Amino acid sequence: MKKIMIDPITRLEGHGKIAIFLNDDGGVANVYFQVPELRGFEKFSEGRPAEDMPQITQRICGVCPEAHHMASTKALDDLFHAEPTSTAKKLRELLYSSFYVTDHTTHFYILAGPDFVMGPDAAPAERNILGVIAKVGLELGGAVIRTRHENHWVIQTIGGRPIHPCFGLPGGVSKAINEEERAKIEEIAKASVEFAKLSLKVFNDVVLKNKEYLDMILSDTFTHRTYYMGLVDKNNKVNFYDGKVRVVDPEGKEFCKYAPREYLEHIAEHVEPWTYLKFPYLKKVGWKGFVDGKDSGVYRATPLSRLNAADGMATPLAQEEYEKMYSTLGGKPIHHTLATHWARLIELLYAAERMLELSRDPEITSPNIRNIPTATPDEGVGIVEAPRGTLTHHYITDEKGVIKKCNLIVGTTNNYAAFYMSVKRAAEDLIKPGKKITEGLLNRIEMAWRPYDLCLACATHALPGQLPLEVVIYDAQGNELQRLSQGIS
Amino acid sequence: MKTLVLGLGNPILSDDSVGIKAAQEIGKRLNNPQITVAETSAAGLSLLDSIAGYDKAIIIDAVQTKNGKAGQIYRMGPEDFSYTKRFSSPHQINLITALEVGKMLGLVMPQKITIFAVEAKNVTNFGEQCTPKVEQAIPKVVEMVLQELNAENP
Repeated sequence: MKKIMIDPITRLEGHGKIAIFLNDDGGVANVYFQVPELRGFEKFSEGRPAEDMPQITQRICGVCPEAHHMASTKALDDLFHAEPTSTAKKLRELLYSSFYVTDHTTHFYILAGPDFVMGPDAAPAERNILGVIAKVGLELGGAVIRTRHENHWVIQTIGGRPIHPCFGLPGGVSKAINEEERAKIEEIAKASVEFAKLSLKVFNDVVLKNKEYLDMILSDTFTHRTYYMGLVDKNNKVNFYDGKVRVVDPEGKEFCKYAPREYLEHIAEHVEPWTYLKFPYLKKVGWKGFVDGKDSGVYRATPLSRLNAADGMATPLAQEEYEKMYSTLGGKPIHHTLATHWARLIELLYAAERMLELSRDPEITSPNIRNIPTATPDEGVGIVEAPRGTLTHHYITDEKGVIKKCNLIVGTTNNYAAFYMSVKRAAEDLIKPGKKITEGLLNRIEMAWRPYDLCLACATHALPGQLPLEVVIYDAQGNELQRLSQGIS
Repeated sequence: MKTLVLGLGNPILSDDSVGIKAAQEIGKRLNNPQITVAETSAAGLSLLDSIAGYDKAIIIDAVQTKNGKAGQIYRMGPEDFSYTKRFSSPHQINLITALEVGKMLGLVMPQKITIFAVEAKNVTNFGEQCTPKVEQAIPKVVEMVLQELNAENP
């Protein structure tokens, strides 16, 4: 059996290994997906005061600490039975919207951008952020950096610290903002809305006007009919910070809608012998293997899933773009994985518009930022939408609030099964007997998983570049036939 | 001459915290308004935000090499990573690419960057302590960084 290894997954957070095994004819026999798992977090948390969890859990990941901080803080509200004040909720959502602006911007321009702006067949030396800036122009490149920089200031101003906020407390937040800060946040929000509109225009010009890309988005190679998950508000509109988790079936009909406390009634995890990963699935549908369709409990929780699971966007400009996407790609739900990049930009616009709304809210500078908890803590669940999927934190404590048990379902985890299916489908469709395996072809396989932006063993900071992408092809006896290395010039 | 000493890593992921622990120790022993000591768990483009605006930067981080021994210390410059320049690392973009992006966009980037890397043994188990050999390397790397700073800021 011939073996192709793609190691590690380039342009994703954390290291991963994908092994594609070929049969004797040169077609795909099987695909395996492994990641080095970080271990011992539950044990690490046991015996610690619950109120430390928003600080500790945000260190799990170097990419989305704000999401962990927020899910953890909401779990503490529930645990201490302390409903946050209206201003506290708005400040949390304001910070969280600003975080979304930074994260979605990073993904589009650095991870997704090279595939589309440079093209899947571009030389690896150009298929990166430097190539993107060279092509779209220094002005837009500067806007990317400026948008991130200004929104980091917002996160620092509201959250008390850059990147790792320290403001979430059970029942509220630790500090208010003043009028001067509010006015500056409003200006940054306005600029972020313009930047999001510009990004959608880039997507429109570069991707949608290119028939080859549009055909690729709509092709079977990048399509799976699954269930979709996302948080929605009381009007069933997309919400990143609060609400109920809604799941729709592959036809777009509501399958279930649940409050955070009920998550264990709906989600179970499947174990495979060839990986440490656990694959979450819908309990009430059941695990039927790595297959799509209505009878399979495989679901997705991505930007596109959130839009599929909701009835629309709560802000006007994002709603317009939402309607445009569904009318262009043939109605709801959209099963084409590559459309996730479009959905992410619509979410970027929503996040910026929501920031602007909240920055103009008369309550946002109120000093009424906390309800002090008085009840005995016992158990709490907090759910937010992390950029990479629904994030659940669940803590059980003793009566003093010391952690006895901690369970987390991290955003990325939701998508493991669908991710695996997407890679397998792309490999099977693209690697054919007798067809030369080129870098462009391998990059198209990578494009099948890039939309998920899996955050694998995150937060390890071993110095960069130790493990370049390598593809090794072995013959049936295990001898190396060919070695393709991306990025080593 | 504004200098930045930046500890990089995850404070609760065993040996990955070595850069942060060393930076904290250096911070306690320095009193020079020209030198800023900071720590971060971020990488990629966020590194750009951290190092922009300084004339010199010293970065302390954990590293894992093929045949490295735990606690071994390497002193390197960005040129040692030049072969990764065009490669997009798992952490969005790597240090070299971040520096190039900064220069391309006309930001003030450090003229000189020195990297002290400590060979790590365990970067997959959560814990606040480093493994013994890496723990023993902390005072050594602290001394190396202080000597470097003394030579540059007599």
